[in-house]
Amino acid sequence: MSGCGCPGSKTMTFEKAEQTETGGAKTSSPSQLRQWPVQLHLVSPVAPYFQGADVLLAADCTAFALGDFHSEWLAGKSLAIACPKLDANQDVYEGKLKSLFEDARINTLTVLIMQVPCCRGLLGMAARALKESGRKVPVRAVVVGLQGDIIQDEWLEG
Amino acid sequence: MNEYLRTPIREIISRFPQVGSLLEAHGIGCVPCSLGTCPLGDIVDIHGLAPEVELALMTAIGAIVAPGEAVVLSARPAASSPKKGFSPPMKTLVDEHRLILRLIALVPAVTASLDVHAEDDRQLVVAIVAFIRNYADRFHHAKEEDLLFARFDRESDILQVMYEDHANGRACVKAAVDALERRDPAGVTDNLIAYTEILKQHIRKEDEILYPWMDRKLSTRQVGELFSAFRKIDSAFSEEAGRYEAFVRSLEDKFASNDAEVA
Repeated sequence: MSGCGCPGSKTMTFEKAEQTETGGAKTSSPSQLRQWPVQLHLVSPVAPYFQGADVLLAADCTAFALGDFHSEWLAGKSLAIACPKLDANQDVYEGKLKSLFEDARINTLTVLIMQVPCCRGLLGMAARALKESGRKVPVRAVVVGLQGDIIQDEWLEG
Repeated sequence: MNEYLRTPIREIISRFPQVGSLLEAHGIGCVPCSLGTCPLGDIVDIHGLAPEVELALMTAIGAIVAPGEAVVLSARPAASSPKKGFSPPMKTLVDEHRLILRLIALVPAVTASLDVHAEDDRQLVVAIVAFIRNYADRFHHAKEEDLLFARFDRESDILQVMYEDHANGRACVKAAVDALERRDPAGVTDNLIAYTEILKQHIRKEDEILYPWMDRKLSTRQVGELFSAFRKIDSAFSEEAGRYEAFVRSLEDKFASNDAEVA
């Protein structure tokens, strides 16, 4: 097969300096998660932790790609995660996002996606929900590279 | 070298004029600043230069002001990500600048044909002053001073320069109104033109330097709070804002067609 398959599924290895496993006994970086559940199908927009919150809508893979996911991106925010490629029944997602804007009256939405094309769907969903919403909220779109670098970071038109 | 980082830029440029040229070569236009009270270190910081560019610039400045001394830049947290464009609340302010600039671009044409003894001309100046006081000052500058600047150190030199510009602008407008009452055409013209010069420079400083710096410093939480506070003001002022936009359009139509007739 030639190398023009789906970039979202293409096999790659990134060379890194050797790291020693610590055994998981010590937590040096505290979790910044302050709610449960987190999956977009499972969360309710009327949950108290969404009211007036700064919300992070993260594509599943971003938490693994970013070395500082908790400290830089999740800290101070409420979370919903989703995969625009593999999740089923995604028609529910747009309504939930619209409800976050209108009912939870969230302060901001940060959409964190991977650079692979399939991930754009999550940003598209958020943009459509914002357009449909009667309430405008700043939406920040952040694209994460496969090795955890930030490729794009911009605010959408409110 | 460290003492120069806290020295007002005007003092440095007057002692070492080459520093002004170096700053200008890096797009830092402090030489014509009317106040020049900002310290050198803050000025370089606020422009967000790439670390290697900043080091090269400070090394070159150091060679002029303190030859032989090593330049050590204070460690700053690296920008977490390459942010592009203005955040939504900041973009609102930049869009408001566009309307203010459209109005002040018309002032030379208005004052060129001004007859302070003609009632229509006096009413036109009154209407321009109303735009400046209500739209530019009460609506736009109030958002800046009460909401945006309030999230930063109001005593900082950079913000003091901005407050000073606002105050100087208000003084020019008051002097123009006083001159109109005295039927003094030169007083009206000179003060309105002085106002436009202050505002043009002021808006350039905000759009190109202050706002991008503030956007880098604002947290996501603060961006959302400002956006929501601005929208409340926008919605209360929306009818008036629409009238002022129509006023600028009508002036553009009138004075653009006058220009066309002259041509």
